[in-house]
Amino acid sequence: MKLILQFLKPYRRLCLFNILAMLLDVAGGLLVPRLTADMINIGVESGSLDYMIGKGIAMLAVTVLSGAGALIGSWLCADLSAKIGQDMRNAVYEKSLTFSEHDFEQFGTGSMITRTLNDINIVQQSVVWCIQMVLPVPAVCVMGVGLAFAIDRVMGVLLIAVTVLIIVLAVLVTRKASVIFERLQRLLDRMNVVLRENLTGVRVIRAFNKEKDEEKRMRKTFEDYAETAVSANLLFAGLESTAFFVINICIVAILWIGGDRIGAGFMEIGDITALTEYSIMILFYIIMAQMVIILLPRARVCIGRIREVLEKEPEILDGEDSIRSPMKPAVEAAVFRDVTFRFPDADENALTDLNFICRKGETTAVIGGTGSGKSTIAKLLLRFHDVTEGSIFVGGADVRNIAQNELRSRISYVPQKAWLFSGTIADNLCYGNENASEREMRRILSVAQADFVSSLANGLDAHVAQGGTNYSGGQKQRLCIARALMKKADLYIFDDSFSALDFKTDAALRKALKEEVADAAVLIIAQRINTILNADQILVLDEGRIVGIGRHEELIENCPVYREIARSQMKGGGEVG
Amino acid sequence: MAEKRRNKGAAATVMRLWKTVGRQRIRLVIVAVSVIFYTVLSVAAPVYSAGIVDLLWREIRGALENGTGFRVTWEHGGREIMILFGIYTATGVLYTFQSFLMASFAERLSLELRTQISRKLDRLPLSFFDNHKTGEVLSRATNDLDKMSEVLQTGLLKLFTAVGMVVGSLLMMFRFHIGLTVVFLVFTLLSIFSTKLFAAKTLRYAALRQQAVSRVTGQVEEAYSGRTVIRAFNREEKSAEEMRDAVKELADTSRKADFMMNMVNPFIRLVNRLGQAVIAVFAGKLLLDGVLTVGTFQAFFQYVYQASEPLTEAAYMINSLQSSIASVERIFELLDEKEILPDTADPAGGTENAEGRVEFRNVRFGYTPERILMKDISFTAEPGQKIAIVGSTGAGKTTLINLLMRFYEVNGGQITLDGVPTDCLTYRGLRSNFGMVLQDTWLFEGTIAENIAYGRPDASREEIIAAAKAARADFFIRTLPKGYDTVLEGDADNISAGQRQLLTIARVMLCNPAVLILDEATSSVDTRTEMEIGKAMNALMKNRTSFVIAHRLSTIVDADLILVMQNGDIIEKGDHKELLRAKGAYAELYNSQFA
Repeated sequence: MKLILQFLKPYRRLCLFNILAMLLDVAGGLLVPRLTADMINIGVESGSLDYMIGKGIAMLAVTVLSGAGALIGSWLCADLSAKIGQDMRNAVYEKSLTFSEHDFEQFGTGSMITRTLNDINIVQQSVVWCIQMVLPVPAVCVMGVGLAFAIDRVMGVLLIAVTVLIIVLAVLVTRKASVIFERLQRLLDRMNVVLRENLTGVRVIRAFNKEKDEEKRMRKTFEDYAETAVSANLLFAGLESTAFFVINICIVAILWIGGDRIGAGFMEIGDITALTEYSIMILFYIIMAQMVIILLPRARVCIGRIREVLEKEPEILDGEDSIRSPMKPAVEAAVFRDVTFRFPDADENALTDLNFICRKGETTAVIGGTGSGKSTIAKLLLRFHDVTEGSIFVGGADVRNIAQNELRSRISYVPQKAWLFSGTIADNLCYGNENASEREMRRILSVAQADFVSSLANGLDAHVAQGGTNYSGGQKQRLCIARALMKKADLYIFDDSFSALDFKTDAALRKALKEEVADAAVLIIAQRINTILNADQILVLDEGRIVGIGRHEELIENCPVYREIARSQMKGGGEVG
Repeated sequence: MAEKRRNKGAAATVMRLWKTVGRQRIRLVIVAVSVIFYTVLSVAAPVYSAGIVDLLWREIRGALENGTGFRVTWEHGGREIMILFGIYTATGVLYTFQSFLMASFAERLSLELRTQISRKLDRLPLSFFDNHKTGEVLSRATNDLDKMSEVLQTGLLKLFTAVGMVVGSLLMMFRFHIGLTVVFLVFTLLSIFSTKLFAAKTLRYAALRQQAVSRVTGQVEEAYSGRTVIRAFNREEKSAEEMRDAVKELADTSRKADFMMNMVNPFIRLVNRLGQAVIAVFAGKLLLDGVLTVGTFQAFFQYVYQASEPLTEAAYMINSLQSSIASVERIFELLDEKEILPDTADPAGGTENAEGRVEFRNVRFGYTPERILMKDISFTAEPGQKIAIVGSTGAGKTTLINLLMRFYEVNGGQITLDGVPTDCLTYRGLRSNFGMVLQDTWLFEGTIAENIAYGRPDASREEIIAAAKAARADFFIRTLPKGYDTVLEGDADNISAGQRQLLTIARVMLCNPAVLILDEATSSVDTRTEMEIGKAMNALMKNRTSFVIAHRLSTIVDADLILVMQNGDIIEKGDHKELLRAKGAYAELYNSQFA
């Protein structure tokens, strides 16, 4: 709720106008029956036709005015909803950019997408509903009762009684209904999940002979859903019927008591019409509001989820004294000193006691099994995570003392998952260097063994689909490498970036690379021994520890884990050779 | 002509739905009867109340002329008021009665259809799943049915009453005064007409908004998936700017679309109220002239409300009814899909503990009969042998496995397990002998332990952990916050693709089947882990027949039989050494690894 107010704050005036328009609409709605009553009173007392026409014109005027109020309100409401939606989306997205890997993983990509799109949609919708359906309720009640009092004191009291009765009823039902609706939503999600699993997992299900079990599982979710839906329906049927009944009692009471009051000369016959209309209007608005209020808990969940994002303290912040730091032109591009890293919610270290140095002009390679922590090294260097113990130095300064932008401007990175952005190839290359010339792009593409680009119909302007899905795995990797090479950096990190390349291309690429980034430090994370055969130093990682460090020949000699990896990849090779 | 045919289709759909309603039909009949009484009473009530008002007014005027006061007593108006109350109560009771009866009607019907769908899913051939998008089928079972039940729930009742209400009210109104009724009809037509005009415009703005939504969705998905790159390249500001741009476009289009939607109701109300004002003036004059009484004046207005609401809603109601019929049609279409062959009537026994001899004899197959993929496949796998299948994408490796598991029916030839043709076995009898690890790592929403125990829900925790250890999954599972009780959620990226694969391997480990099928099972696992799994697999494969599809040839050099496939056919077969000596396709493929 606080969050909503915070986003509404800049639009206080707009909110105010919204309320004014709403009041105009409601007032008009209540005045029409008043005027109708007047016309009846004139009619039965044989008043003048002119007077009657005067009332008629007044009625037209009121109708037009209140209609205008409603239409303007529709516009203002749409405007307000659009504006807060826009502000929220921007806020969420900008916040997400400050998150570390771990921060972001706590939400997950899917959930973050939902939060940015659907959740905010629901919040917008709820704001509109509140303004259009809930806010008018107090206005209608107060004005309706007020007008009834203006007719007759007794009638005013009667209307208060009816209003209170309906409100109590609505509150009771709402309480019960919001529980049911929350359950219904949960069951609907569950139904979707189970069905989806059955559709995507059909082979596995059949292979394991689980058809009958799955059928039961589906039937169970369907039944739960149906049962809850029926109880929701029953509740509403009950509410509608009761409200219907209350209003009928009210009309009868108005006739009976009204008859008395007219007989006693306190009110006129036409007033009965007005009073009946008031009570129907009050009932109508309350029931409509109640329908909306039931849906609000869902919005509250969404708001909560958005707030989680907006209020999350990013784990990694630029320190107070993010010293525009003395990044020395040291030969050591990166130094790991006693680095230990553990994911915040894990029991075991992902990396333990790492000590090594990436020197300029040298290639450092990291090899090890899945889950041995290879990629984490790259992410620590880029400060997507912070070390748990020890320190990492880039350019002579502890990474925690450098502004993140400054740090990342020194490092060029090819991620494990070859990801390209939609647009053109040139757009993607510009990520590395915004002002790159076409010649430079072509040169780098040829270093990255991505000459295939020139054979594409549009060359550098060839279309790239989201994620780069219109290129093969090998092509994507080469384009990602080219993107990284466009950026001039002290340290180049290749995170398993050669895996989809065939052996010939892999070799050619490494050769060209050596010349291109001769002065910089290179860190290659790999699974294939071939890729790192000629590295200046190879780190062998096993369950997060360095179990061997040295050149290929040395490791083959004295590192069992390395030997095993080598054997697994070279197996049978002897017979070919 | 086409229109006629469509109507016929719709009629058939409605008839079929009527059949599905089954036992609930009686309920529907009772509701219909109740609705008739309800409508009659609802139409009668205003006339009666008009009489009361007139009566009161006469009495009051009489009393005033006599100079005496007037009080409502049983004799003076009270009895009539109580009768009105009785009428109201009767309508109320009927209303309650029919809404309660209908409350479960639609949901029961959807439950019935949903159950039919779930049963159908078991009997659909795999080709159905290949040819239909998941979301499409999903939306039939959820959205389409929800739409239907919503329409049936409220719409049917409304439709029943609306017709009677409109006809009855209009009749009464004509009886009161023809001129006034004509004025009313003119304004109602006006509001229906303008609703139509709005609808077209609203649709156009909604389409524009949809475009903007797609743009923002694309942008958001892309930005979150590629955020590592955005941050590594210091592109945060630029990316935020692009986002602001897309979000602004969305805001601009939604503002218009929302306005159009918000304003429809107020606008209709405005038109209706203008009509009422005009009617009021006319009626007032008639009242002055003594043509109308106070009571009829009031009653007329009540009829105006009763008739105008269903009339202005008519367009909407017809639309939603049509779309729900379309929804139901889609559901029936799904239920009518061709099914797999039923289990053979007298299954051959004795396959519970198969030895694992598998034979393909002149197998011919195509996903569609017109396009035969496999022309003539024959080979034999002896019990305990490791059979490797090699070939490029689309060569038919997975197809071979699909046929073995009888996910598809062969077009010719025969596949036997221990000498028994697979189509002479029940599906269950056949498949219980196989354990497979597939390319796509399907896991369901549940704990890791439940997922591992999928094939054997009765397995103990020790057995589960043992299977996980054997599949080299134990280590990473223990690093998760809740270990084996970690819940795998649909979109959560809490475990990697490689790890998911390890879990599917553990799942099969636990089942201990006679024949193993590994379809590129270790493609997301690095070579060393793959070798470790390989060791465990080797132990498991002992005395078991196994089929391995692998794109890394290093894992299959020890296979007893290697089948090299191309365009659906086996072009070479033999063991590693034989095939290398043959210097054919296999040798070429193998050597290219070390180029």
